[in-house]
Amino acid sequence: MQGEKNLGSQGGGRFRAWASRLAAVAFWLAVWELAARAIDLKIILVGPSQVLVRLAELVATGEFWASVALSFGRIALGFLAALLLGAALAALASRWRAVRELVAPVMGAVKAVPVASFVILVLLWVSSRELSIVIAFLMALPVVYTNVLEGIEQTDPTLVEMAEVFGIRGWERVRLVYASQVLPYARAAISLGLGLSWKAGIAAEVIGLPDFTIGEHLYDAKVYLDTPSLFAWTVAIVALSALVEWVVSHGMAAAQARWEARP
Amino acid sequence: MTGGFALRRVDKAYGDLVVLSGVTAEFAPARAHVLMGPSGAGKTTLLRLLMGLEEPDVGLVERPGSARLAATFQEDRLLDGLTATANIRAPHGRMRGAELAAFLARERAALASVGLPVDARPVRELSGGQRRRVSILRCALADADALFFDEPLKGMDDATVGRVMAFLLPEMEGRTVFWVTHDERELAWFPRAERWHVAGGTTRR
Repeated sequence: MQGEKNLGSQGGGRFRAWASRLAAVAFWLAVWELAARAIDLKIILVGPSQVLVRLAELVATGEFWASVALSFGRIALGFLAALLLGAALAALASRWRAVRELVAPVMGAVKAVPVASFVILVLLWVSSRELSIVIAFLMALPVVYTNVLEGIEQTDPTLVEMAEVFGIRGWERVRLVYASQVLPYARAAISLGLGLSWKAGIAAEVIGLPDFTIGEHLYDAKVYLDTPSLFAWTVAIVALSALVEWVVSHGMAAAQARWEARP
Repeated sequence: MTGGFALRRVDKAYGDLVVLSGVTAEFAPARAHVLMGPSGAGKTTLLRLLMGLEEPDVGLVERPGSARLAATFQEDRLLDGLTATANIRAPHGRMRGAELAAFLARERAALASVGLPVDARPVRELSGGQRRRVSILRCALADADALFFDEPLKGMDDATVGRVMAFLLPEMEGRTVFWVTHDERELAWFPRAERWHVAGGTTRR
């Protein structure tokens, strides 16, 4: 009985928390709408209703989806490369101190240098089409490397000893002992790195202006003082980011649950 | 090749704490060796030396080069995210198809015989006592020539001890077994075992 009561009040608490969150969002949307109507100047500020209308128009065009696919595909490619290289480097760095010391200043520099500097520098090396791949890669690499290395370092030494005694070596040891210990760190790195890559990749497109990309549309909106489009594209970017984050984190959780339930 | 473990004039200390001093012992292969002694007498250190997890400060530890080892450590040392069967199978490499099905059947029979449920839960959701038994089964079902048990029955109730030993004793047959305990009652399970007393830095039969 006690349990049921607690469960009930917990459910109610969650509902209240969601309701108050939604109310807060609704409040700010209303403020935004009222401010836009009061200013009544599309160039300065457009209200949420106008943004929604513009977004609906954009979504109906093939160009919108082509741009989203192109930008997303390139950024995802850069991110995946960072994931693979970051994890591999972390594995090597955990094994050999020399690798870690060699890599440390590079990662430090990549973390410290502003994205804009990288964008301009990378534009001198590669065409604007490859720019967002490289920028997404550079943003995610130190995040993945640092987190995975931390995960490997935190691996329970008594489990490593157990593997040693039982003769669990090589790939089997990675798969059974290290993978599960590194997984929480890797998941954190993936969700953090994805967000960073996505935002920095689009910022790079705004500067590099590769054809038919989200960044180019944002730039056009600026040039033509098309504020509704600027807002609509921004909403699309945020929504896509949230969607990808949700799909990836749920996908990883489901994959982990399946792996854990193996007989 | 089975067995053939020996210590020759072994000294082992941790800082100022002398754990073993001048220990010489030969452990006959394919037999059970029960290592008794008070807490802190160096029984675990002795096991760790034999398993190759520690090096002696002085002296020599002989281990048959090709011996495959398995252990039930004092702690469970399980892979928390995996099921009991996946944990028990961990030392066996990757199995597929008929081989996997046959081993799974063996695992399930073993789990049932020591009173453990067979389900899809990861072992982090099992109780301490259940985890202990999974750890014992992982050791017993490993393809090993030498089995090391460090107080495996500690804290287990009598009925469970009976079930676990009924399963373990036939599994230990023909293998070199090192069984550490400080509970005299456990000796009853090993009427033919060699008994070793570890105390005061020395080990004697």
